[in-house]
Amino acid sequence: MEKYRKNLFNALACFLVVIVLNFALPRLLPGDPVAYLTGFSEEEMTVAQIDRYRAALHLDESVPRQFLHYLASLADGTLGYSYKKEATVAELIRGRIGYTLQIALPAVVLSSVIGLAWGLACGYRRDSLGDKLSSSVLIVLNTVPSFLIALAAIIFFCFQHKVFPYTGVSSPGFAPGVPGFFADRLRHLALPVLTLTLAAMPSRYLLMRNTAARLADEKYILYAKERGLSPCTIQFGYMLKNIAQPFITMLGMSVSLCIGGSLIIENIFSVSGMGKLLTDAVYTLDYPLMQGVLFVTTLIMVLSIIITDFLCILVDPKVRLGEKHE
Amino acid sequence: MSRRNLTALVLGLALFLCFLLAALFPSVLTDYGLKEMFPAWLPPSGEHLLGTNALGYDIFTEIVFGTRDTLFIGMMSSILTLLFGALFGTLATRNGVVGGAFNALINVFVLLPRLVTLIVLSTFVGSSRWSLIVLIAAFSWAGTARAVKAQVVHLNAQPFIENCVIQGYSRSHIVLRHILPNLSDILLSRFLLGVNSCIMMESTLSFLGFGDLYHPTWGTMVNFAYKRGAFLRQAYNYLLTPGVCIMLLSLSFYLISVYAASRRESIGE
Repeated sequence: MEKYRKNLFNALACFLVVIVLNFALPRLLPGDPVAYLTGFSEEEMTVAQIDRYRAALHLDESVPRQFLHYLASLADGTLGYSYKKEATVAELIRGRIGYTLQIALPAVVLSSVIGLAWGLACGYRRDSLGDKLSSSVLIVLNTVPSFLIALAAIIFFCFQHKVFPYTGVSSPGFAPGVPGFFADRLRHLALPVLTLTLAAMPSRYLLMRNTAARLADEKYILYAKERGLSPCTIQFGYMLKNIAQPFITMLGMSVSLCIGGSLIIENIFSVSGMGKLLTDAVYTLDYPLMQGVLFVTTLIMVLSIIITDFLCILVDPKVRLGEKHE
Repeated sequence: MSRRNLTALVLGLALFLCFLLAALFPSVLTDYGLKEMFPAWLPPSGEHLLGTNALGYDIFTEIVFGTRDTLFIGMMSSILTLLFGALFGTLATRNGVVGGAFNALINVFVLLPRLVTLIVLSTFVGSSRWSLIVLIAAFSWAGTARAVKAQVVHLNAQPFIENCVIQGYSRSHIVLRHILPNLSDILLSRFLLGVNSCIMMESTLSFLGFGDLYHPTWGTMVNFAYKRGAFLRQAYNYLLTPGVCIMLLSLSFYLISVYAASRRESIGE
C-alpha cells in the first residue's frame, strides 16, 4: 500500500508544480503580465484597454490573492479566458479533446497489447532467432522520430496507393450517427493511430521483453516447462501474472506519452484536436490557451496514474488478500 | 566480450564519424555553399544528390550543414542533463530535509508531461539555440538523477567509503574524489542514451516550428519542407531524408551504448 500512496502523492505533487508553473510564468518573465495573459502586445493596446484587462485579470491585487483567483478559475472549470479566440479555454478544449482521445486511446491500447504479447513471446524464447530479429527491428524503429513515421505513412498510403484520406477526421456528406459516418471516421483515424502505435510500441515491447526475459529463468517457469505445459499457457497463465504490475504502470505512463505524440501528429494529419489547438495558440501567442492545454494534459496524466495505481492494488494479491504481517 | 558487441561498436563509430565529419568539415562532403541558388524543385540527379528545395538550395548541402547544429544541440543538452542529473542525484542521497526535497523534485520531474511543457515553455522563453538546450536539459535530467542516486546509495554502503568516513575526510572530498569516479560508467551510458532522447526532443520541437531559425537543424528542415509544399511537388526525399539522418545518428549512439553496456557487464563479472 505504501508504494501506491507514494505514487499518488508524487502525481499530485506534479500536478501542483504545473499549476504553480502556469501561474508564475507570465508573472515572472520580463514583460508586462497583461501582455502574456491576453496575448496582445503592449503596443497594440490603449491605456484604457490595459487598465480594463488588468482589472479583469485581478493583476492589481496582491500575489496570494491572484493565486486564489487563479485556483478559482481552475476549480470552476473555465481554466481562464482566451482573449484571442473570445471564449473560455475550457470551451475551446472541450470541443477538441475528443479527437485527441480518439487517436491517443486506441494507440495506447494497441501499442500496449501488441507490446505485451510480442514482448512475452520473445522474452520467453530469449536469444532465439525470432527474438533477436524482432528486437533488432524494433530497436531501429525506436530511434525513428514519430513525425518521420507519419510522413512516410502519408506518402505511402495516401499519395502512392491512395488507400486512406490524409486530412481531417471525416469527409463531408455523412450525418453523424449513421454507419457510414462511423466507417468513414475509422478510415480517417487509421493512419494517425497506426503512426502513434508504431511510435509508442517499440519502447513498450522492449520493456516487456526484458521483464519477461528475466522471468524466463525462474524455477517455476522451468517446472512448468517440465510438466509439458504449452508455451501459451506458460506465457499467459504464469508469466503474465508476474508482469501484470509493471504492465499496468506502463499503461498509465503511455497515456501521457500517446497524448504528447498525438499533439505532434495531429498537425501532420490536419486533425483539429488539442494538438492543433496548441500549435494555433503558439502561432497566435495565445498564452492562456497554451497553459490550459498543459493543464488538461497534466490532469489526464494524473488521472491515468491514479486509475492505474488503483488497478495495481486490485491485481496485487498481497494487498487484496491482506498482508499477513500487518 | 562477444564479437557481436564489437561489431556494434565499429558500426556505431563508423556512422558517428561520418556525421562528425559532416559537422566539423561540411565543405569536404559537398561542393556547394549553403546559400548557393539553383532553380527550385530540381529532381535528384548526379549534380544534386537529393534535388533542390523551394528556394533553390541544394538539399544534400542543407543536410550536411545542418549536422553541426543538430549534433551540437543534442550533445550540449545531454551534457547539461548529465550535470543536473549527477548533482541532483547525489544531493538526493543526503539525509534530512535536503535529501527529501531533492527526492521529491526527482519524482515530480519524472512524471511531468515533457513535450507539452517544453512546447509551452519554449513559447514563453523564446526559441534561441541556447534556451532550447537549457530547456531540454531542464526537463530530461530526472532519469539520470534516479540512476545516479541508486548508484551513490550502493557506493555509500561499500567498505572503502566507510573507510573514508572513518579517516575523517569531509563529505565533499569523498563525493568528488571517491564517489564521482565510480559513477563514470553510469554517466557514460546515460550520456549516450541521453543524446538520443535530446536529439529526438529537439527535432520534434524544431519540426513543430520552435527551432532556432538562424541555426536550422534537421527538424527545422522537415518543418520547412512540410510547410513549403514538398508533398505536392512529390519531393519526398526532402521530407524524409532529414528524418532518416536523425534515425541513423540515434542508431549510432545506441550501438555505441550497447558496446559500453556489455563492456561494463564483462568487467563486473
